Amino acid sequence: MRIVVILGQVLDPSGIVIKRRAGRIFVNREEYVLQPADRCALEAALRIKNAALAGLRPSQGVEVVALPRGPLPDDDVLRQALATGADRAVYLTGEGFDGADDAAMARVLAVAVERLGGADLVITGATTFDTGQGQLGPRLAETLGWPQIVGAWQVEAADGRVRVVRQEGSGYVVVNADLPVVITVLPGALKPRYPDGARLINVYRAEDAVEKWDVSDLVSDLVDEAALQPLLEKRGQDFPPERERGVRLSGTPEEMAQALADTLRQRLGRRPATARER
Amino acid sequence: MDFTFAPEHIALRRLVREFAENEMAPLAMEIDREGRVPFETLRKMAKIGLLGVCFPQKYGGMGAGETGYCILMEELGRVCTSTATNVGAHIGIGAMSIYLDGTEEQKQKYLMPLARGEKLGAFVLTEADAGSDAAAIRTRAVRDGNEWVLNGTKTFNTNGSFADVVTVMAVTDPTLGARGGMTAFIVEAGTPGFKVGTHENKMGIRGSSTAELIFEDVRVPHENVLGKVGEGFISFMKTLDMGRLTLGAACLGGAQAALETSVHWAKTRKQFGVALAHKQSVQWMIADMATEVEALRSLVYRVAWLVDTGQPFTQLAAMCKMYGSEVASRAIDVALQIHGGLGYSRDFPIERNFRDARISEIFEGTNEIQRIVIASNIFRQHGVRIRP
Repeated sequence: MRIVVILGQVLDPSGIVIKRRAGRIFVNREEYVLQPADRCALEAALRIKNAALAGLRPSQGVEVVALPRGPLPDDDVLRQALATGADRAVYLTGEGFDGADDAAMARVLAVAVERLGGADLVITGATTFDTGQGQLGPRLAETLGWPQIVGAWQVEAADGRVRVVRQEGSGYVVVNADLPVVITVLPGALKPRYPDGARLINVYRAEDAVEKWDVSDLVSDLVDEAALQPLLEKRGQDFPPERERGVRLSGTPEEMAQALADTLRQRLGRRPATARER
Repeated sequence: MDFTFAPEHIALRRLVREFAENEMAPLAMEIDREGRVPFETLRKMAKIGLLGVCFPQKYGGMGAGETGYCILMEELGRVCTSTATNVGAHIGIGAMSIYLDGTEEQKQKYLMPLARGEKLGAFVLTEADAGSDAAAIRTRAVRDGNEWVLNGTKTFNTNGSFADVVTVMAVTDPTLGARGGMTAFIVEAGTPGFKVGTHENKMGIRGSSTAELIFEDVRVPHENVLGKVGEGFISFMKTLDMGRLTLGAACLGGAQAALETSVHWAKTRKQFGVALAHKQSVQWMIADMATEVEALRSLVYRVAWLVDTGQPFTQLAAMCKMYGSEVASRAIDVALQIHGGLGYSRDFPIERNFRDARISEIFEGTNEIQRIVIASNIFRQHGVRIRP
């Protein structure tokens, strides 16, 4: 069984300062970390691998392969994936690839999955931490012609099927599906494991730990030239509207409760409480 | 000259920082209050290989070298000095003494499980009448056939109360003194006659255990002699050189934390209508603190590089320990001043850091002893041998 996990990076939030008044994000330390949702996707894949290793069917090996979710400046997140337990990682690079958006990436990744010799399961994050993009998983499923399950909390796979717990409304639903399938995992869904120290040292020391594929090879092989043209156009950035400031209540607990109840009634357009209700 | 960290060391720092912030920071206040060793944290560290960070992978270690070890200690020291102390005693002096002087068999038998964190180690030297004057120890080891019989009492043993494997120094020939008369032994917990005595009720690092160890006719096989008979003192001093460097690294973390929290507080705390950051008195405190932290960082990692490249470093390791502990104490003292009354409150970490930092000026050789080491090295280079 081959599981492909698709991973991206995001600026380390502890290295940036957001200045709303200046309308800018100041980068003090340009360091990147694995996208939180993608990290959960990796964890989901590794748990499936561990469950298989735990001996249900030892003959059924699970191979976890990490691919990038977009053009990355370096292969760091892929090395992190290897250090954490992925078996193989492929870095994608090449001319004209820098501006690839989720639409272009879905095409590139579909070809990459084929080049790997196919896969049984593709897992990625449901949304990116910085730009809130959630299109990659669904677009990739569409390109591959596979079914998709988005917004997973839990993922289990065995005997050619997956069982996914996903959030729906205020509750959860369990979805079963046959493989192959594309699954997107919510950020915070799973507590990701730490990389293994010795593995980490070896992976970061070995220059060739991550394979390198040229995107132009993939594209010229299997899809047309226009495949890399992005659909997305970035026109600028803006901050979400400022939140309304709250009101601090004071007085005895009874007075504060009364003031709160009155405010809620007023907000909801209800009549004020009668003396008796008080 | 290249001051950049290798990619594996950058990745290691990220791993340790995340671990320390997620697993250690939430426990730091609790273990201090309760005075308990956070074994759950040590187990988690063992699982990802942190307890063997500097040892080669063939001995079950991570293979990150001394630079990696300093990174570990800096990041642990930044979050919880007690945990850093437990780890430092285990790796830096307990397991390190076996790594530096053990035979291949001893490394396979003892270093391997220590590096994997399956067992915990300690280093046993100090006695009631032999603190700074380590050569004055009285614990005796007398050879009896293929065994040695140990008798004596050791004090202030970090990790001693729970360690599975300890390295102990004893007098094997009272006529010879430090040079030739002392030998190091590896002793397993549970050996008959090896007992834990009283526990110290300490001012700080209360999440670490410091205990008395009693040896009453403890029989140790000859194969557990660490290094050569009669060369224990030299062997232990070599280990302590390593420990001093990494203690300096832990102090660097403590000083760095004091700086970070001071900057944060100076940004947010308003007095006289402006943030403290706009007050020159506070700016100067921060500037001095940051300068000392940077100087210490350069010193610590330069010495780590000397170790990793096999160059002499004894004098500089003493400087790391002495300067590091004083920089940390000063930085935390200034941080407390910047925080005012809140810094003095037990509900904030600075009060704990203040108590924790003080020990670093004392253990692993007092700062007075470090000054003697530094001065005697300097004078030796000028042909003068300092008299004790």
